[in-house]
Amino acid sequence: QPPRTCDDYWSEFRHCKSLWNRFHNYYAHGTSPSCGQWKEDYYSCREWEKNPGPETKESLQQSERNREAEQRKFTPVWDLRRDPPRDWHMPLHQGKSPDSQS
Amino acid sequence: MDQNKPQEEDYGYNLFPERNSGKFQKGSIAESLFTFNHKCQVMLQFAMETSKLTVLSCLFSAVYKDRHFSCEDCDGTVSGGFDATSSQIVLCQNNIHQQSHMNRVVTHELIHAFDHCRAHVDWFNNFKHLACSEIRAANLSGDCSFHNEVSRFNFGLKKHHQECVRGRALRSILAVRKVSREEAEKVVDEVFDTCFNDHAPFGRIPHDKKDANFAYRDFENRDRYYANL
Repeated sequence: QPPRTCDDYWSEFRHCKSLWNRFHNYYAHGTSPSCGQWKEDYYSCREWEKNPGPETKESLQQSERNREAEQRKFTPVWDLRRDPPRDWHMPLHQGKSPDSQS
Repeated sequence: MDQNKPQEEDYGYNLFPERNSGKFQKGSIAESLFTFNHKCQVMLQFAMETSKLTVLSCLFSAVYKDRHFSCEDCDGTVSGGFDATSSQIVLCQNNIHQQSHMNRVVTHELIHAFDHCRAHVDWFNNFKHLACSEIRAANLSGDCSFHNEVSRFNFGLKKHHQECVRGRALRSILAVRKVSREEAEKVVDEVFDTCFNDHAPFGRIPHDKKDANFAYRDFENRDRYYANL
């Protein structure tokens, strides 16, 4: 099935084009938002539902992979953990020094 | 970072005097009912139920109000903090008086908690890590919304959000570390691009409720999403 429901693509497109979103985009980035990809993805999604073949899937999947890549294109300043910190759930102790390193 | 500092670094703990005593005390019933502490607890409960926070607290549904939050009196005008040594968010009951402010502070501190939970953040020794988390918290919590900036009489429009994020990150660093303004600015500049564009866990900058709801929808949908890429 497509990564998102087709309605989700359409609602993202509408949200992207909305006045508020255009305002927020200008306020944060100084530009108008680019919304065309959501619309394209919506049509690809509909196509996928009608004719689920490798070509129709590939177009939508590639678009989503690009979206993911955009989110990850900056080198992080820190290393990610594999598990949460060991002491995350440990109970608080009376008399524990606040300067102690975890 | 090795430096000879004239003053001993206390990592900002002077702002949270109730933490310095090293004891975590529970107050009397009278104290809990009729004071800022009670108001803080009530507002915190309400804040946990708003949508932006649902994304964060659900993401690691391991955040418990009684373990990971503490309402305390603080110095100065600071609104809250994240104590990495105890994995606790501190809310300044004497400085938070409105629900909207509480919502914002909880979101801001949850972003620090989220960073602590998902990455090896060296809060005490690595300024880049500290700066990065402050940039993200200012960016994603609503601290720098147009509305909040206008209420501080900071009137800016085009890309003003970024200016605000830089400024607030700088202020936060200077509040908890004994460094010069120039040093702090340098570090913020170094990591700004990377950290401003790191929108985890939202996937976008949540400017309003609709953004937050869409981010939550993405979170709920994540299994289907990654299975079909």
